[in-house]
Amino acid sequence: MGIFRLSHVDITAPDLELAAAYYTEVLGLDISERTDDGNGERIFFKCWDERDHHCLAIRHDTRVGIDRFAFKVDHPGDLEAFEARIERAGVPVQRVAAGEETGQGESIRFEIPSGHEMELVYDVHKVGGRLPLINPAPIVPNLRGIAPPRIDHLLVQAEEVPEAARFFQDVLDFRLTEQLLDGGGHQTIAFLERSAKPHDIAFVQGTNGALHHFSFWLDDWDHVRRAADLLAYHGVTIDIGPTRHGLTRGSTIYFFDPMGTRNEVFSGGYRPDPDFPTITWTNDRAGRAVFYYEGVLNERFASVHT
Amino acid sequence: MSSPGILRLSHATVRVPDLELAVAYYAEVVGLVVTGRDSDRAYLKGWDEQQHHSLILQQAPTYGLDSLTFKVVEEDELDRLADRVTDAGISVERFHPGEVAEAAGATARFRSPSGHVIDLECGQGQVGNGLSLINPPPAPDNLIGMHPPRLDHIFLLCEDVDGVTAFFQEVLEFRLTEQIVADDGHQLATFLERTHTPHDVAFLTGPDGGFHHLAFWVDEWNDLRTAADTCAYHGVKIDAGPTRHGATRGCGLYFFDPAGNRNEVYTGGYHFDPDDEPTVWTEAEMGRAIFSYRGQVDQKFMSVHS
Repeated sequence: MGIFRLSHVDITAPDLELAAAYYTEVLGLDISERTDDGNGERIFFKCWDERDHHCLAIRHDTRVGIDRFAFKVDHPGDLEAFEARIERAGVPVQRVAAGEETGQGESIRFEIPSGHEMELVYDVHKVGGRLPLINPAPIVPNLRGIAPPRIDHLLVQAEEVPEAARFFQDVLDFRLTEQLLDGGGHQTIAFLERSAKPHDIAFVQGTNGALHHFSFWLDDWDHVRRAADLLAYHGVTIDIGPTRHGLTRGSTIYFFDPMGTRNEVFSGGYRPDPDFPTITWTNDRAGRAVFYYEGVLNERFASVHT
Repeated sequence: MSSPGILRLSHATVRVPDLELAVAYYAEVVGLVVTGRDSDRAYLKGWDEQQHHSLILQQAPTYGLDSLTFKVVEEDELDRLADRVTDAGISVERFHPGEVAEAAGATARFRSPSGHVIDLECGQGQVGNGLSLINPPPAPDNLIGMHPPRLDHIFLLCEDVDGVTAFFQEVLEFRLTEQIVADDGHQLATFLERTHTPHDVAFLTGPDGGFHHLAFWVDEWNDLRTAADTCAYHGVKIDAGPTRHGATRGCGLYFFDPAGNRNEVYTGGYHFDPDDEPTVWTEAEMGRAIFSYRGQVDQKFMSVHS
């Protein structure tokens, strides 16, 4: 059936030890593998309830940034089908053979109109969640940190949001759930999904190739409050929240990892069917679209990216 | 690319001897929205659903389940799935839009090996969720009762759980997420999904055609407490909860409608990938699979059905 969810986000950081400490102790992810090979020095992280090898890879680099993000397809033949469609759209596709990339099998990589490298993968190695598959308890006691069960979505910037959104709709079969239009009717934010959620990826007008944030799921608004308590305890810079989005209706808190990459934990939303009508936000309500309680966009949220 | 197949549980048609009383209960206590009414039927939906109905109340001399309906998004998928059912030796009856119910789409009807009447439907009428598609607030401000946003799953009884589970997996393309396996190796209960949630439909050993409960989604655990308060306030009989399930890891509250049909409001669970392995519960742990806190099989819960 094609793409069915976000698989992993691959970012860079200048201090891998600091990244490891923050993402395990504060965010509460598990390290599934550390490598130092032709692809550089990297750490692979996963959430406690994820069975796949990783949802986040951090590569050592002098600069903070994003290497690529990967989506998962649910049929091995989908890679070939997408390769043909993407090439028909005039975009070159690079095949990555099984064994070339850590934690996963064959994949395809290509550049989307917003300048980001995107990857599609079918076979992400199963390493198992923290719960057994026979008579499991519903929880893992004594998880460290915020401990989200899984990754949820990412938001990236694009100079031309409509161009990026059209590529995702026409070539990758994403569905547009919500959009923000400026006074001239130009699309400046687009929310797109493949997993019956408000978004798996969103584009906001800005710098091509930039990452705004990636986000982890929490089951409950109360867990967003608990995340805020833990962030304050650890002295992590909170960008905004706990608050509510107008767009997606989700409950949220944003914060920065020690290197400056923005993180989010997110709960709520809704379940759009493929025939769900797109919701439109107009420019006069842009503040409320982004932060429903505050009704205004903070300057840092609008401008800071990696 | 593989075929989209069944999207999700669309609705259930439930028999009630006193239609007025049932409508009052489902509209004011559960807090569903009434979208249609004729002499012997009422149509209801969760407030956030776009479709015309997720519950049809059918006036009848007794209580129980008339039929359950799964949503199929593409018309040619309806043909393909109907052919698969026919090829499995089960006769399929086709209906035009509007024929089986108000606002109904094209429908393929058959009797499952478990004795339940199952409809596959494509193109049910959409009525919207009551919110504007331009700058919507996160929820309407006039919600009453438990007001679940949408339907979640249905739990059925049948004599041969192994047989119907194989039918759902092989013919209807469902995925098995969890199973309770008896010491002699046969399946006592199975959980099946099409939406990457722990279950859209589940089967428990019992009489063919039996109806255990219909469950509506609420967003979080705190909503289950509100639902329990609502039940207690209205004198609605609570069967079990608020509590936690071992199987699905969800949290639920069970109660009965005035006719004796069991309802649930449910939240939590997890995301299930198509390539994830199912969880197995052994017979000795069946109590904990059903109610994680109590840990014992509740005879009333297991034996009372409609």
